[in-house]
Amino acid sequence: MIIWSIAKATVGDAMRKKVLQIFLVVAIGLIIISLSFSQTLSFSTREGASTDIMLIKSFGLGLMAMAGWLISLVMGVSLIPQEIERRTIYTILSKPVKRYEFIIGKFLGAMLTLALCVACMGIVFIGVVMAKAHGAAVSAASANTGISAAQAGVQKVQIFDINMLWGVVMIYLQFLVLSAVVILFSVFMTPTVNFFMGLGVYIIGVMASMTETMAKSDTMNPVLAGFYKIMHVIIPNFDKFNVTNTLLHPETHIANIAKYTGQVALYGIFYALLMVVLAVIIFEKKEV
Amino acid sequence: MLPIFCDYGLYGGMKVAEAIVVQGLKKVYKGHLGDSVAAVDDLNFQVNQGEIFGFIGPNGAGKTTTIKMLLGLLFPSSGKLTVLGKPAGDIEAKKRISYLPESPYFYEHMTGVEVLDFYCKLFKLNAEARKRKIGELLEQVGLTKDGNRALRQYSKGMLQRIGIAQALINDPDLLIFDEPTSGLDPIAHKDIQDLIRSLKEQGKTVFVSSHQLSDIESVCNRVAIINRGKLVKLGTMEELLHIGRTVITISGSQDDLAEQVKPIAERVSVEGDLMRIYVDTEEKVHNVLDTVRGKSCLVSVVPQKQTLEDLFVEIVREGRK
Repeated sequence: MIIWSIAKATVGDAMRKKVLQIFLVVAIGLIIISLSFSQTLSFSTREGASTDIMLIKSFGLGLMAMAGWLISLVMGVSLIPQEIERRTIYTILSKPVKRYEFIIGKFLGAMLTLALCVACMGIVFIGVVMAKAHGAAVSAASANTGISAAQAGVQKVQIFDINMLWGVVMIYLQFLVLSAVVILFSVFMTPTVNFFMGLGVYIIGVMASMTETMAKSDTMNPVLAGFYKIMHVIIPNFDKFNVTNTLLHPETHIANIAKYTGQVALYGIFYALLMVVLAVIIFEKKEV
Repeated sequence: MLPIFCDYGLYGGMKVAEAIVVQGLKKVYKGHLGDSVAAVDDLNFQVNQGEIFGFIGPNGAGKTTTIKMLLGLLFPSSGKLTVLGKPAGDIEAKKRISYLPESPYFYEHMTGVEVLDFYCKLFKLNAEARKRKIGELLEQVGLTKDGNRALRQYSKGMLQRIGIAQALINDPDLLIFDEPTSGLDPIAHKDIQDLIRSLKEQGKTVFVSSHQLSDIESVCNRVAIINRGKLVKLGTMEELLHIGRTVITISGSQDDLAEQVKPIAERVSVEGDLMRIYVDTEEKVHNVLDTVRGKSCLVSVVPQKQTLEDLFVEIVREGRK
């Protein structure tokens, strides 16, 4: 009950943050605006329509990823320091609340907030992709086969691409890990330092394949190679969560999507849990 | 609900329980350059069950640091700290204590009812108990009509009332108030004084830190004064506030009478026909009265009691020297 109460309070508090609302509204607005891409390209050919849809998918996924990391960082960096600064933590920890309950509650709240934000963007994104695909199907059907728009609308069910949902879930998992890292940092770092540290971790994590190559390079100085190896092991591999290429270019498909998703999800959840455990250990000894 | 007593001592010839025991408490903050500052230094006192204990000191004296250590928010560098017989910060002790911070802050997006519901959940009260408790508390602090308004619309006084309501959720045995009347209007100020008195009547222990020394003087049984982290004075009002000096007023005195009493008096002032003679001991009162007898008309003999504020100012100034 205690953890859930703290989590709910965290969601309510975070969702009222002006900066988070702005990121969300701008991201959703831009995803909707991407519908207007149809004005620049013609649907008269199958190629034109698929290019349009691919463009929207690419734009939408990129936008969600950008909004996701901004939201994760902005929300995560202030999660604990703000409680101390506003002194809300005093009335909470002076109640029979264990410190680990507080940290887990805050983490859970952050995860729920992130889920809400990604869900809002994801629903709009999938809706926009479906609307575009439906429009393309109707136009193509009317132009090429002469069937009515209503008949063409039957294709709507097929227009729903489950892979888009997969892409949204992977974006969520990616930022769940980033949030967990930033929340761990927020236990002992100031928000500004934490923001840049979180950003650094994200950039290095996105370039995981590069650090791996560097670590394995024979020509690399052994000290530097060791450094890259440590970086590759410690910093989460955000590259694993990036499935945009697979979604946009079906020829680069993953053999077993379910297996891959399961492995990546397990990796993400394990990493996030590790961050929470470390945050709990540090917070037990933290003076507030 | 009566507290479970653990430590017993003698106070005023009666056997009483100790709600708080502070022994050799020290808190040292280390700077980045290796320097260190003792915010609290070898503090020793105890708070008996059922008493209203005032904890005063100038800004930076170590009051809030001590309170935070009592609540387990900060950890002592050394010394012993027990609250209701348990080590400070113990979850079992926290079930029976409450804390009202200075200018309490809450999640502003919540309404009065929601914030109390949130704190009730931290005590694991079920839905029915929460509903009943919230109604009682809002009525007790006079916010029944405003319970469904968001806290961001509350005035400072209303927030303080919500703070008091959250502090009463668990019917605590020990209440720790940090500047409970800070920034409040006279009505809210009086309400809080009355609340503290009513808590005392209910047998609760109240540990109150405040700069409103008149409040402390009027409601507290005992007071501890700290300065620069050290305990300077501890005792009941009677023990701490002595009869400072006595003002003897006479009239119709002869010209040389002032010269006669000056060696005995601290100060002599003459205003028209009236002469005021200030003396600091009972013996000197008698000496002055013997000197002026038959040479003037005695108007009054008024002992002036030292206030807590006088004592506080004296201690702080001495500390600065």
